[in-house]
Amino acid sequence: MQVLSGDARRAVFAPLHDGALRSEAVVRRVGSAIALGLLGDGEQLPSENDLATMLNVSTVTLRDALAELRALGLVETRRGRGGGSFVRLRDAALAGLADARLAELGTADLRELGDVHGAVVAAAAGLAASRASVREVARLRDVVDRLAKEATSPGQRRADGRFYVELAACAQSVRLTMQEMDLHLELGQLPWPPAAEPRLLEVVVASHRAVVDAVEARDAVRARELAAGHVDTRTAWSVALHLRRLRGARPDAGAREPAG
Amino acid sequence: MTASAAAALAADVAAVVEAVFAEVDRLQAAAVPVLHDPSGAAAARLEEAAQALLSPGQLAVGLGLIVAPRAEDGFRLRLLWWQVDPVTGRLGALAPDLRPSSLGFYDYPSTEWFDVPRRTGRRHVVGPYVDVHGTGRYLLTLTEPVLAGGQFLGVVGADVPVGRFEGHLLRRLGPTAPPFVLVDEEGRVVLSTSPVRLVGALVQHGGDLPGPGVPVAGVPWRLHAVDDGGDLLPG
Repeated sequence: MQVLSGDARRAVFAPLHDGALRSEAVVRRVGSAIALGLLGDGEQLPSENDLATMLNVSTVTLRDALAELRALGLVETRRGRGGGSFVRLRDAALAGLADARLAELGTADLRELGDVHGAVVAAAAGLAASRASVREVARLRDVVDRLAKEATSPGQRRADGRFYVELAACAQSVRLTMQEMDLHLELGQLPWPPAAEPRLLEVVVASHRAVVDAVEARDAVRARELAAGHVDTRTAWSVALHLRRLRGARPDAGAREPAG
Repeated sequence: MTASAAAALAADVAAVVEAVFAEVDRLQAAAVPVLHDPSGAAAARLEEAAQALLSPGQLAVGLGLIVAPRAEDGFRLRLLWWQVDPVTGRLGALAPDLRPSSLGFYDYPSTEWFDVPRRTGRRHVVGPYVDVHGTGRYLLTLTEPVLAGGQFLGVVGADVPVGRFEGHLLRRLGPTAPPFVLVDEEGRVVLSTSPVRLVGALVQHGGDLPGPGVPVAGVPWRLHAVDDGGDLLPG
């Protein structure tokens, strides 16, 4: 089988650097790639050996991860001729994975992820304001319009990711574009906030539109500020969702500090 | 820089670009049969032609045919493109993600290198740009329309990495070439030998650059003589 090329695929199959719990890291990476549509329903995964090499994990770790993905219904393995591991799109399983990840991360982890995303987005937005062509600005607008019309959470999340990746490309920077792609594979492991609160989509769309306006006006300072400010808002949403889940999971938790 | 020195530099730039377009031209003959041959034999001949053109020492690192979506073909997206892998150096087919449901969807019909030849019926050069979701590289892409009976069937083209273009041209011009910037029709710096103008930046025609510059034959670029920025590193 042929593995697709392109920046997105490179990110999906890039080596994992997490130290401990590597089979869980593989499960999360594959889960978010499915959530972002980078791995399609029915698509065949590379062979166990190839996949282990690409992700830089042992075959034992990889088999553990595939077993977990099978248990979640996200991968189906067929034996024999024409066999292999195939991706299965299961929205409920993906939502469950995202909820579990949100619960296990601490607020400091969520803030760290938001901090680095904010830094990359601010740099991209500022450079895009001085480097994006008229044509590229029109393309950014088109991506935001599509996001506004997306009815489903997976569709919204992908359109949102495309906006950020295109913004980084408008900065004329391969490195920022790759960073943005890598970050989306991490952010894709967490719940999409408008899935819990549909009104938030309007906030996302309005913020992206304001960034595009600033880019079009060649106002780099404003583009940076708006883009970074919105990422901070998202971090606050994730933290709020995280805390809500903790309280929901333990009805008596309101009286005590959540365990670390 | 004198006007004739600038014109001489522009002629060198034009010659380098023409050499790449000459390679793209050689794909034209092999491209049309691919669209009417479901057997794959024509595609194999195109692959042979593309791979022969990607020999070491060539400027292009990727070549091929990008097919226009057609109603009779269910608007299928199709790309027959071969490239030298930047890591392994091996020749291989490029297989970007062509599913619209993916974050990584390579929406090529909306790219400038596809859309401009489709609209104008003429060849085009785009870049520097980040080929997002395609090769992921920082490129100049040169394309020309494939036409049969007045119908637009797609584009044939070549990818030239920005760094490779710069290195090749600077070696060709030699160390004594006066400082200049090469700017495309949108004001994007394609190549600069001045540290105060960076590749990929936008400059304002007339405002940022002194004088109108000289045109580069065959492409919508202009070459401007500039200050060398020598006072950046005093002493």
